[in-house]
Amino acid sequence: MVERTLTVTAPLGLHARAAARLVRLVSGFHSRVELSRVDSGLSADAKSILSVLMLAASRGTELRASADGADEEAAISAIDQLFSDGFNGPEYS
Amino acid sequence: MTEQQEIRFKGLGVSEGVVIGQVLRMHDTTEHVYHWRIEPSDLEAECRRFRAAVDLAKQQVIGIKQQAEVRLGKEHAYIFDAHLLMLEDEKLTSDIEKEITDKKANAEWAVKVVGDRLLSLYSEIKDEYLRERGSDIEDVMQRLIMALGGGDEERPPLSEDAVIVSQDLLPSAVAELDLEHARALATDTGGWTSHTAILARGIGIPAVVGLRDFYRRAKTGDRIIVDSSRNEVILHPSITTIQDYRSRRVVGSRGPEANHPGQDTPVTTLDGVEVTLRANVELPSEFEGVAKYGARGVGLFRSEFLLSRRGVVGSEEQQRTAYEGIAKIAGDDGVIIRLFDLGGENVREVSHELEKNPALGLRAIRFGLLNEDIMRTQVRAILQAAKKGRLKIVLPMITDSSDVKRARAIIEEEASALAKIGGELERVSVGAMIEVPSAVLMADSIAEVVDFFELGTNDLVQYTLAVDRGSDEVSDWFRTLHPAVLRSIDTSLKAARQAGIPAIVCGEMASTPAYAVLLLGLGVTELSMTPSAIPRVRATVTEIDTRDARLIAEQCLLCTTADEVENLVRERFAQLWCALFPAAALPAIRPTN
Repeated sequence: MVERTLTVTAPLGLHARAAARLVRLVSGFHSRVELSRVDSGLSADAKSILSVLMLAASRGTELRASADGADEEAAISAIDQLFSDGFNGPEYS
Repeated sequence: MTEQQEIRFKGLGVSEGVVIGQVLRMHDTTEHVYHWRIEPSDLEAECRRFRAAVDLAKQQVIGIKQQAEVRLGKEHAYIFDAHLLMLEDEKLTSDIEKEITDKKANAEWAVKVVGDRLLSLYSEIKDEYLRERGSDIEDVMQRLIMALGGGDEERPPLSEDAVIVSQDLLPSAVAELDLEHARALATDTGGWTSHTAILARGIGIPAVVGLRDFYRRAKTGDRIIVDSSRNEVILHPSITTIQDYRSRRVVGSRGPEANHPGQDTPVTTLDGVEVTLRANVELPSEFEGVAKYGARGVGLFRSEFLLSRRGVVGSEEQQRTAYEGIAKIAGDDGVIIRLFDLGGENVREVSHELEKNPALGLRAIRFGLLNEDIMRTQVRAILQAAKKGRLKIVLPMITDSSDVKRARAIIEEEASALAKIGGELERVSVGAMIEVPSAVLMADSIAEVVDFFELGTNDLVQYTLAVDRGSDEVSDWFRTLHPAVLRSIDTSLKAARQAGIPAIVCGEMASTPAYAVLLLGLGVTELSMTPSAIPRVRATVTEIDTRDARLIAEQCLLCTTADEVENLVRERFAQLWCALFPAAALPAIRPTN
C-alpha cells in the first residue's frame, strides 16, 4: 500500500466536476483507492463520486490518499498529478 | 378523433414571428412520488425494474452530455459526467436496492428516500459551493424517478415543428433543450426581458410569454400557432385558421438574415451620423450571429454564461480560452466582457441561500468584491486573453465611484502581478454599467474614473421604476418609455460627454427600432443588441435624420408620464416616418388608464 498527502487545489474544492475527474481517473486503476481528510479522519472510496463529494473538501483541505493493489504506484502518482495540476490539466475523462 | 375547439390565449409577443407547429411540453416541477408496498415475491422484479431505469437514465445523460458538448462547449458538459458517475456509483444503487428489499418499497419511493437522505447530509456541508452540489444529486434523483415511469415521454426528440411550451423556462433548462431545433417558445410567465424572451430573440425564434394558464391546457403533440405580432397563441387551430395563416405566408423570424445580409459598410443616418451596431451575446450558439448579421464586434458579452448550469465557475484557463475564442470572432471591433453578473435570477444556480430581495442583494460587482477569488480568476483570464484579442471590461451594477475604484484596484493588482511573470500586457479599458438610479445621479463622478459607460436599459427600467421585470403581474408598470427612464439616460449621456468618454446602450431598448431612434435623438451613437435584431435596426437607422429624432426626444424628456411619451412617439413617428413604422412597430395603445 502506498500513501500520499495532498492538498485540494481546485479553486472551488472537490465539487462535482473536479470529483468526476478524480473518480474517472481512479476508476481506471485496479487498486483500491481511499481518500481521507487529515483533519477529521472522514474517509471515502475514491471510486464512488457520492462518497468523494461527502468529503466536502474545499480548497486547501488536506487529504491522505492511499492506494492498495497491483498498480498502486501508478494510481497514486496519477492522483498526485491531478491535484498538482489543480484539476485543470489535460482531460482525464 | 373529434375535432377540438380552437382556443386563443393572450400573452406578450417578445420575439417576433409566426409559427405553425406542434406543442412540446417541458415541465420543471418536481414529480409527486407515491409509496406502495411490494410483495416479497415481487421484490426481485422491482430491483430489476430499478436497474433498467438506471440504464435508461444513463443513456439519457450520455445523450445530454454529447449535446451539451456540441452546443455549450466541452467545459459545460463535465457536469453531466458527474451525473453519469453518480448513476454508476454502486454506493447509490446498492443503497436504493437495499431500501427496496428491506422496506418492501416501490423503486420510486426508495429513490426518493435515499436521495433525501443524501441531500440532508449534503445540506450540512459548510462550504457553500460544495453544498450547492446537492442540486446535482437532486437532478439525478429526478431523472431516475422519471426513468422509472418510462422516462422517454418526458423528452421526446424535437420534431421539425416543435413549439416549446413551459410554465417558466428556467435558465437551467437551456442546457437540456435542443433549442436550435425549436421553432417557437410559449410560456405561462415572463415578460419582455425574461430569460425566455432574451433567449428567443438571441436565437431568432418567435416567443409569446405571460400566457398565464396555457401550459396546463396544452398537451404534447397538439397543433399550435404562435403569433408574436398579435401577442397570442392559438391551440387546436381550425383548418380555416391554419389556411388563413398559410396564405399570409408564415414568417418564422429565422428569415430576416435572408432579407438583410450582414454588411460591413458603416451605418450612417440620413444626416451623416455614423452609428455603431454591436452584438450582445451569451450562448456560444449566438457567436455565429456576430458576423452573420454584420455586428461591429461584441458590445456585451454576458460572461456568467461561462458558469455551468449548476454554478460552477470555469478555471482561469477555460475562461481564457473562451475569451480568446469570442475575441477572435469579434476581430478588430473587439469585445466588451461584463464581469460575472451573478445574483438575482442567476443566483439560483450559485447559492441556496435565498435572499429576500435578490435584485437588491448580493449580485454583480458586489458578489465579485465579496468573492474576490472568483473575480480575480476572471480578471486574470481576461487580461491574458487580451494579449491575443481586443477586450474591454465592464463592471456590472456600479452604484458609485467607490465600487469602480475597488474593482479597478483588483484589476490593476492582477495586471501588475501578471506583468511581472509574463511581461507586458495590453492595457484593458474598464467601463461601468449604468443601470441603477444611484449610478445615474452620480454619473459625473463615475465618468471620471472609467473609460466608458455602458447603459443597461433593462435593469435601468427595473430599478428606476421599481418594477420586477420578470413579473407579469406588474408588467403594466414596466414602461421602457417612462420619462424617468429617458431622463436617466439623458443624464448619463451628458455626464459621459462632459468627461469625454464614449457611451454605449446595450439593453433591449437598443434592439427595438422605435426606441433606438429615440436613443439616437438623445445623442447615442453606439448600440449593442441581440444579433438577430441588427438588420432591422440598421434598416431603420439609415432612414432617419437624427435632427428629427432629437426634436422628438427633447419633447419626450418634458413629458410627465409614460402614456404621454408613448402617445407622442406614436403621433410624431407616424407623421415623419410612416413607411418605417407601421402601427405594429410602435408602442401599443394601452387600455385606458
